[in-house]
Amino acid sequence: MFESFFNINYWYFILFVYLFIGFLLTREVAGFIPRLMSVIGWPIELSQRISGTKSLPYLFLFPNILIFGLFTFLPLFMNFGFSVTDGESINFSSRDYSGSDNLARIVLETQIDTGIENMENDKFKAAIADTFIFVIFQVPIMIVIALITAVVLNREIIGRAFWRAVYFYPVMLSPVVVAFLWTLILKRQGLLSQKLIEWNWIEEPIQWLTDPSWTMFWSVFVYTWAHLGFYMLILLAGLQSIPKDLYEAAEMDGTSNQRVFWKITIPLLMPILLVVTVLSLIKAFQAFEELFALQVGWVSLVSYIFETAGLRGQKTTFGLGIAAMASLLVAVLLILLSLLQFYLTRRQIKL
Amino acid sequence: MKKFIYLMSNFVSIFKTLGFIFFTTLVVLSFNVKAAEIKFICYQDSNECDTIAEMAKSWESSTGNKVNIETVGYEVIREQLENQLESDAAPDVARVTNLGGLNKFYLDLKPYVDSSYWETNYGATLPWYRKPSGDDGIYGWQTQLTVTGPYVNVTMFEDAGVDMPEEGASWDDWADALRKVKSELDLTAGLALDRTAHRWAGPAFSYGAKFHKDGVPILVDEGFRKFSEVFVGWHKEGLMPVEGWPAGSGTAYKNAAPLFLDGTVAMHMSGSWMLGNYDKNITDFQWKVVPIPCGPGGCGAMPGGSGVVAFKSTKHPDAAASFINFLSQTENAENFAAKTSNITAHQGLQKSGIDYKGVSPVVAEGLAIFAANAGKAADSTPQAYWFQGYNKNFAIYGIVPDYITKAITGEMSLDDALNAIDADVAAKIAE
Repeated sequence: MFESFFNINYWYFILFVYLFIGFLLTREVAGFIPRLMSVIGWPIELSQRISGTKSLPYLFLFPNILIFGLFTFLPLFMNFGFSVTDGESINFSSRDYSGSDNLARIVLETQIDTGIENMENDKFKAAIADTFIFVIFQVPIMIVIALITAVVLNREIIGRAFWRAVYFYPVMLSPVVVAFLWTLILKRQGLLSQKLIEWNWIEEPIQWLTDPSWTMFWSVFVYTWAHLGFYMLILLAGLQSIPKDLYEAAEMDGTSNQRVFWKITIPLLMPILLVVTVLSLIKAFQAFEELFALQVGWVSLVSYIFETAGLRGQKTTFGLGIAAMASLLVAVLLILLSLLQFYLTRRQIKL
Repeated sequence: MKKFIYLMSNFVSIFKTLGFIFFTTLVVLSFNVKAAEIKFICYQDSNECDTIAEMAKSWESSTGNKVNIETVGYEVIREQLENQLESDAAPDVARVTNLGGLNKFYLDLKPYVDSSYWETNYGATLPWYRKPSGDDGIYGWQTQLTVTGPYVNVTMFEDAGVDMPEEGASWDDWADALRKVKSELDLTAGLALDRTAHRWAGPAFSYGAKFHKDGVPILVDEGFRKFSEVFVGWHKEGLMPVEGWPAGSGTAYKNAAPLFLDGTVAMHMSGSWMLGNYDKNITDFQWKVVPIPCGPGGCGAMPGGSGVVAFKSTKHPDAAASFINFLSQTENAENFAAKTSNITAHQGLQKSGIDYKGVSPVVAEGLAIFAANAGKAADSTPQAYWFQGYNKNFAIYGIVPDYITKAITGEMSLDDALNAIDADVAAKIAE
């Protein structure tokens, strides 16, 4: 009897009950539409009666806090829980407390459970090293290109709006679409190899994405191409906020363009440039979607966490705990970068 | 105080209203007895789920229950199902390949089925679903018995004027032939193998790899090392493509079928589950299944297959067990095998034979060769059956390609890669 009660299509039933309660509780209002609105909004009216208008803003904030808490803070606490427990299951009731064992499994040279060489340590270090190389090249290259592009697109050029759209367009594409497009170009039978062979630049086609000599280059290239537009837009806004009379005064003094750029544009753009740099650093450390979809020949930090956690279907007893601990270590680094950004932003406000 | 009384009277009236509605509904609905509706998550290589959906109509009409079949990609089964099972968002029934690894979630069908029928007809495959010891439950219907083995592009061999090695030939003989085909036709590569130790294991067994000692995984022995050297050598000389194993990173699985379909390679080391797919999709060249190549260790092939299982979390254990029991019956198992061009796991049907009506000659021949491969493996490389039943084999499937790929790309030496395989396997299977 109870089972059949809960097995019906209960959404219609719940709606009926909701409206019925509203009908009973709300005051009579003239007109069908006002009455309907009153019935639908009965929780608001009831809460006003109970708590008065002062508490109403918190009621409106509550759904957002609930969602934020569920999808941000709760996973954070769960991740911390995974990092100090062992087991394949994602249910804490099936996991055993292990303290700092997962940290030991990542950082020590000897595996604590088998007493032999710890491969996890090597994999984690390799992921950190490769990700650092990626970040060291990708961020400066992207900032420089974004800056140059923003400066050019800040001028009065023909089709300026069109070119701005062209540079921003990749930002709107899904990472999988970006990866698919570039795979068509970069795979061994792809456009790039065919053209280079046609031009006699290479003799045999190259698998650009997995060739150890080229995989990092193209990872940086594709990632920069996909994200450049976003930072260009921020820098463009920054350039437009620089007072025009400074440029006019410089022009009247006969200052060269180069000097104007280095002595006026860059110093006044510096706060935004610093914020953009820190933001792009944080994003670069978290690079995953495009690289995963491209199937590049190196493992980034997030790829390492993704794989170790058993999200590729190969769960192991300690994998989830190790992945959670690794993500906490990465989080510490990103928190430091965020604090740096916060400090720089405050300096900008004070200036 | 007045305000408090006013507030309380509001709550009392709400509760009274709700209570009245609740009990009225209970009384009304207590007479509404609904048939069970079970959710079945299914993946297919060819038309397996479609065939089961057809068969399910008969079960639905005879029992009055309903089965909702959701056909998903294999990645959903491989990567998401276990999380669904742990978080109580699981289906009632699913088609799975990690037979031993998901044992803790299975519903034991023994109370609901005729155990003697199951032991007689599926006794060889029932252990693959059970815990390593002390478990005699009946957990799933083995939908098919798969066997790994190579497919070859016959047209390429003919165009190159190269004779295919005969039955009993070794992997070295096949490598020589494929080199000639590659050279004559200027192919990208000669041989492709899916990026998983499940496909790698067969040739490794042929070279003498044992994979275990007394039930404990011991991977890198002399045979394993020898095949690793050969395998890395095949990549370095270009016999195997960079789009295969080197194109994956970490433990990622990669299916090499696209390379065979588009003519990049002349041989694809895969398995019997691809028969239906190739029969349907290959229209521009002739292909066939060849007997599994041999080596000093025997003629190694990996048995396996997927199973339809029910989960403990199901709210309809009777209906779920009834559905699986229905599928396992002789006439239904025969119908499934015939329509999907798969080797049946039903031992009675294996002896009597399946009439694969309407299958093409190449598929019929392929089925016979794969069945023979299974027999050769059982005789010469029985460790294959142990590996298939090992409940942590899925961890090993990814570890081997992870390090062998690094040896292929030169990121580490082969010696370091083999040491790493042993160390990582030990760490991953440690309790």
